[in-house]
Amino acid sequence: MLDKFALLGVPQGFDEPPGIDEKFRELSRKMHPDRVPPKQRVKAAGQMTALNDAYKTLKDPVRRAEHFLTLKGFSGEVKMSPEFLQQTLDDREELDEAKASGKPLQDLARSVREKRDQTLAQVREIVTKNGDLEKAAELLARMKYYARYLDEVEGREAEV
Amino acid sequence: MPALFQISEPGASHAKEACTTAAVGIDLGTTNSLVGIVLGDGKPRALAVDEGSTLLPSVVHYGEGGGPGSVVVGRAARRLAADFPRDTIVSVKRFMGRSSADPETKRLSPYRFAEGASGVVRFVVDGGRIVNPVEVSAEILRALRTRAEERLGIKVHQAVITVPAYFDDAQRQATKEAGRLAGLEVLRLLNEPTAAALAYGLDKRSRGMFAVYDLGGGTFDISILQLQEGVFEVKAVGGDSALGGDDFDRALAEILLQGREHTPRLVREAIDAAKQAKEELTRAEVTEAFGKRVTRPQLEEAIRPLIEKTGLAVRRALKDVGQKVDGVILVGGSTRVPAVRRYVAELFGMEPLADIDPDEVVALGAAVQANLLTAESPQHDVLLLDVAPLSLGLETMGGLVEKLILRNTTIPANATQEFTTFADAQTGMDIHVVQGERELVKDCRSLAKFTLSGIPPLPAGFARVAVTFQVDADGILSVTAKEQLTGVSQSITVKPSHGLTDEEIERMLLASIEHAEEDVQARLLIDNRVEAQRIVKAVEKQVENNGDLLEPHEREEIENAVADLKGAVAGSDHHKIKSEIERLDKVSADFAKRVMDRGIERALKGHAVDEFDKGELSPHAQKAYSALQDTEDPA
Repeated sequence: MLDKFALLGVPQGFDEPPGIDEKFRELSRKMHPDRVPPKQRVKAAGQMTALNDAYKTLKDPVRRAEHFLTLKGFSGEVKMSPEFLQQTLDDREELDEAKASGKPLQDLARSVREKRDQTLAQVREIVTKNGDLEKAAELLARMKYYARYLDEVEGREAEV
Repeated sequence: MPALFQISEPGASHAKEACTTAAVGIDLGTTNSLVGIVLGDGKPRALAVDEGSTLLPSVVHYGEGGGPGSVVVGRAARRLAADFPRDTIVSVKRFMGRSSADPETKRLSPYRFAEGASGVVRFVVDGGRIVNPVEVSAEILRALRTRAEERLGIKVHQAVITVPAYFDDAQRQATKEAGRLAGLEVLRLLNEPTAAALAYGLDKRSRGMFAVYDLGGGTFDISILQLQEGVFEVKAVGGDSALGGDDFDRALAEILLQGREHTPRLVREAIDAAKQAKEELTRAEVTEAFGKRVTRPQLEEAIRPLIEKTGLAVRRALKDVGQKVDGVILVGGSTRVPAVRRYVAELFGMEPLADIDPDEVVALGAAVQANLLTAESPQHDVLLLDVAPLSLGLETMGGLVEKLILRNTTIPANATQEFTTFADAQTGMDIHVVQGERELVKDCRSLAKFTLSGIPPLPAGFARVAVTFQVDADGILSVTAKEQLTGVSQSITVKPSHGLTDEEIERMLLASIEHAEEDVQARLLIDNRVEAQRIVKAVEKQVENNGDLLEPHEREEIENAVADLKGAVAGSDHHKIKSEIERLDKVSADFAKRVMDRGIERALKGHAVDEFDKGELSPHAQKAYSALQDTEDPA
């Protein structure tokens, strides 16, 4: 597994690494295919692709946390709790009903947003205090569900 | 450039060279083109190149009007356009990098096109002479070069030429080729919004998020760039290619024509009068046009809906960026209209920067870049990090699009997604690459299709095919599909040789907003259908294999639910399909549990574990499982 923190030369952690923007620009100026002699362009393109990807990952709180946990060996097969799965189905049903009846979706979205923020805060708590990383990975896996739910609500809101 | 006024020392040939040549910046525009240069005082200026104006109309006339075999460029050519519409090429930029087979090509113009297999647009002009868009553009560039040389009294050999941020590789290559044909070494192709930012001196010293609001004669572009330590990062691009000052003229002409005949001649006169009135009303409150008194509020009322259309693209770009901007730069002649400036100020919550002539700003920025590139210390050079203007994806089950690379991703970029087979013993997989924001394949642009064959025959869902998209720094996409077990792979490079034009990109972006709800409905229907078919298959398979676990009345109940679900799938009501899925789920829940228990029992007895696959979970559990699977990160 490629260490994207190392690629950008920033310390591993839950929070956005300080100086990441500066590092990205500094490395871009060195690596970008526009900035190297023609013979090195193919190689530079590969490096720049990895750099762009690393930067995108580390600038996003959820992706960054996922990557951090992956590097610590917690990734892939995460067992979601049955209660959570049931909750996702209920939430979704509620959303579908609200959509079908034309009810405003803001309240539903707000409650999911709150759950998302709380969950991410819990992950932060665990990670920064060197707690149970397996639990953190399970909590983090929930973020995808929240993101998907909110995408759907925002898709609807964008039309208005 | 500073070298211009250096005094050459005798015998110092490089100094002499520097003294007699110059690098310029060129804005090769759709309607007008300009040339700029940085002089000894370090300030860029646009050169007067056409009848005292800095604007050279991008019009090229071949032949008769100017004498046999001759080529006329600029205002003189524009005057000949009415009498020689087929020998006078207007707005050639729209044809750059386009295919002659493109239906848009024919729609655009009154021109005669040469037949040929080359695939490139070729115009037939002046009694049979054939020219292509690169050659026509080269005439414009040559006119700019020679007229600049006359003004400066020195040779012009090098240039930075600007292109729209959306230009694809083929269009960029064509522009570069035109420069070469015109006797210019093209130092760099510079994106127009970046050039505008450079003109405002947003270089190493500046930092922040800047919006470039570019409203020209016929197009609107919005770009949001982040500038820090000499690196320009394009954060979002958008626009509307069928919106500009020409629309303002038509809106005002409608008012002028009220109560009068609409003959083609009168309409043309009204549009010309409207254009002039519009320009006068940027300074005056009242003017006279077409024998009518026209006030600024009248004009503003007429164009208000048009101006507000730009807000859609701006808000979308701002949403993509998710940050406030620190400055707004105005580009394009139409941003002179006071109502446009007010609207921009309102939209962004700040007064836009408009100290530099919006017609000249792009050429001036190009001149700054030309100066930087030819200066002694190249570290002043700025770096531009560009983005993919539209999402890139693949067709999946039911004609849906799975996006791999999202709009506004910084390039070069790559993404990999795993796909599996839908049928048992499936040995081939069709890979269909599409571009666009819509949910359905038929609403996106098809870029390429190929087949990965040689997949080992396995039960449905067992083969693993990894599809990788790679977009290079020029925006060219390569796609590779690889079956993970055998390593068999297939790849293709999608060369946008007749790539998307601004118009197509805009149309597609706008359509994705307009059709968002429609898409959601269509997607739900297809999702539910695919889901239903999968569940029906799974249930039927289990009834066949483990039917002995069922009481006759249970079997009947399940079979009825299956039949009803099949009926619902044939219809187009996704709610109905969903409720039938739920019913089947309910009536088969006990059965599923029994099958699962048997599976576990067998597994414990040492049977192959893969007899117990997720096909034996209850449909409801399967659904939760697949909902989570679907959200797996493609990376």
